[in-house]
Amino acid sequence: MAINNDMILLEEQKKRTRNKSLTILLFLLPSLLVYLAFILYPILATFNYSLYDWNGMGDKVFIGLENFTTLLSDSTFWTALKNNLYLVLVSVFVQVPFGLIMAIVLLSKIRGKKVLNVIYFLPYLMSSVAIGLLWVFMYDPVKGPINQFLNIFGIESVHWLASSNMAIIAVLIVLVWQFAPFYMILFKASLVGIPEEQYEAAEIDGANGIQQFFYITLPSLMPTIVSSSILAVVGSLKTFDMFFIMLGGGSGSATEILGTYMYRQSFINFNMGYGSTIASMMFILALLSTVIILFTDNNRQKRSGLK
Amino acid sequence: MRKLYMLLISLFVLFLLAACDEGDDASSGGDNASSDGEIVLDLWHFDPGARMEVYQEAVDRFEEKHENVKVNVLQIPNDDYKQRVVVAMSGGNPPDVFASWGGGWLEEFVDSNKIKDLTNEDIDYDRFIDVAVKNSTFDDKVYGLPLGIATYSFYYNKEIFAEHNLEVPETYDEFLNVVDVLKENDVYPLALANQPKWPGAFYLMYFADRLGGEDVFQSAYRRTGGGFDDDAYVQAGEYIQDLVERDAFNPGFNGIPYDSGQGRQLMYTGEAAMMLMTSGFVNNVREEFPEFEEKMGVFGFPVIEEGNGDPSNISAGVSPVWSIYEETDQSELAVELIDELTSVETAQGYVDKSSTPVAVKGVELKDEYVSIFTEWINKANSIQFPYDQTLPPELGELHKNTTFDLFGLEVTPEEAAESMEAEAKKIFGE
Repeated sequence: MAINNDMILLEEQKKRTRNKSLTILLFLLPSLLVYLAFILYPILATFNYSLYDWNGMGDKVFIGLENFTTLLSDSTFWTALKNNLYLVLVSVFVQVPFGLIMAIVLLSKIRGKKVLNVIYFLPYLMSSVAIGLLWVFMYDPVKGPINQFLNIFGIESVHWLASSNMAIIAVLIVLVWQFAPFYMILFKASLVGIPEEQYEAAEIDGANGIQQFFYITLPSLMPTIVSSSILAVVGSLKTFDMFFIMLGGGSGSATEILGTYMYRQSFINFNMGYGSTIASMMFILALLSTVIILFTDNNRQKRSGLK
Repeated sequence: MRKLYMLLISLFVLFLLAACDEGDDASSGGDNASSDGEIVLDLWHFDPGARMEVYQEAVDRFEEKHENVKVNVLQIPNDDYKQRVVVAMSGGNPPDVFASWGGGWLEEFVDSNKIKDLTNEDIDYDRFIDVAVKNSTFDDKVYGLPLGIATYSFYYNKEIFAEHNLEVPETYDEFLNVVDVLKENDVYPLALANQPKWPGAFYLMYFADRLGGEDVFQSAYRRTGGGFDDDAYVQAGEYIQDLVERDAFNPGFNGIPYDSGQGRQLMYTGEAAMMLMTSGFVNNVREEFPEFEEKMGVFGFPVIEEGNGDPSNISAGVSPVWSIYEETDQSELAVELIDELTSVETAQGYVDKSSTPVAVKGVELKDEYVSIFTEWINKANSIQFPYDQTLPPELGELHKNTTFDLFGLEVTPEEAAESMEAEAKKIFGE
């Protein structure tokens, strides 16, 4: 009898879970629909287009993977990819640490925190177009404030946006300035979440500020650092606007990035098929790097016994 | 239960795919009739300011003649415009009538059967300047009606010239002398905002024309024996780099956008003395810094004495060119609309308000600059249209990139010419 009762109970429970999942699914349906229509379908369509020789309007000619083989031997693609990699490096190793430093400064016991808070966050609130134009004037070779500032110290004017090497650095500076506040917000939120007791205990054990940072703050922030890095990597692989605004969509092919190259091929050169191939490549690269980051993090957690 | 989920999901996917398919079909072709029987025509163009007003006046005249017709005019800024039209043509809802620059860009749509052939429509072709119509004629069929012709020439500051006892240079040697004198007196001889790449490309066009004549481009483009690696192109690259090495331009010119106005500011403030620009510059001056107009003068590109080019040749760009979408439901009305948009009356308004000559004959010239520019057009032995608008888009883009790199001293003239010719061979299949 007891067994039978248990069975019935189990059945009931199963039924309830089923009902629950059905409700959940129904609630998810609207967003699932939006996701399918506006995210999944375009991605699949892009992959589909990338297999054609197509100018965007006329007849599509199926050419299999020819676009991909052309892409791999296309020197502009590799230049663009190289520039994107600089961007990834700067995002992960400059932008994210900057965000962390700013967050720590804002949570420390200093005066004028409120003012700093506003100043730090301001760049992130402005639109990219406005920022781009603003910095074009800042970088002006003759009248730009930056060059005039350099001139005070006897340093010769730098032609920031004119030469290809300098142009990339110039845009990277702007991107760091624009996006570091975003990571600052993320770090601030998770810094607040670290229990005060841990610091108190560490203090009793005689840990100094630096030790506290490396043994308590940093490990507790690890999940945020990982998700920030993913955002930074994916964001810099698919970025477009600042380069387009400040360099006019790649001044010469030396400053092309994947985003601007895709735009140029699709909409200026009428190679919609080839442009889709570049877009697909960007998607694959972003996906791969995300998987790699998550995988490494998983390993790290296993090693440190968190899982 | 699991089956039910699968069923639900597959139903939604099906629904979705159906919706997408439907979307593709429903959106092609203009849905011109609105609910109250009014016929609506969509018109897209890219010109702001005074030119926009001129088009609006033409549209108003057209609407007066056709009681039941409404024209939706949409002005889209230059950079966005090309992309919007491509997307609309490839699947969205293309405009019935739209503006372009003719040349290779328009031809790309013609090749995909998106543009209406206007050759046998009821249009009086005699009123147009022939060479301007040729810009939108492909395989002897006309696909667009031209309105404006913007000429490219030097603008200079008369005050600065007087101050240093300089005269308007007629030959290139005199021009170089002017450059050197200005340089010695700490004035930037030439203002250049080359980030969008077309301002620098004007120099290459003019040098190639003055050195080798108009046939250099024609035979390279038509593939009748010449090529983009012609000596004239290599030499033109050398002339450009010679100017760069003389410090003839303002510093950092390759990083300065044209639209944001820093290049023009150098002219307005007298820091730079000359600028090679389109006739649209006159309008910029009037809108941005009217005080400059009294100091301003114009002169054509100097003659290169050892070159073979005809000194009367000029470079100019046709814009706008009005075309009609092939599958519009209202093709008769659309033809009438573009006829009105290029009528003598519209052209008169365009000349009066935009300081730019027109491709339409029979207008009265009141503006002194338009009179000068129009005289150049009438006297010209040949008119060179900008390469990036004439050539197939990919080659045009490469031309701008290689010229940009020539200015940046990042490639040699030989390398630039060779990479142009290699791409041309790939595109024209030779």
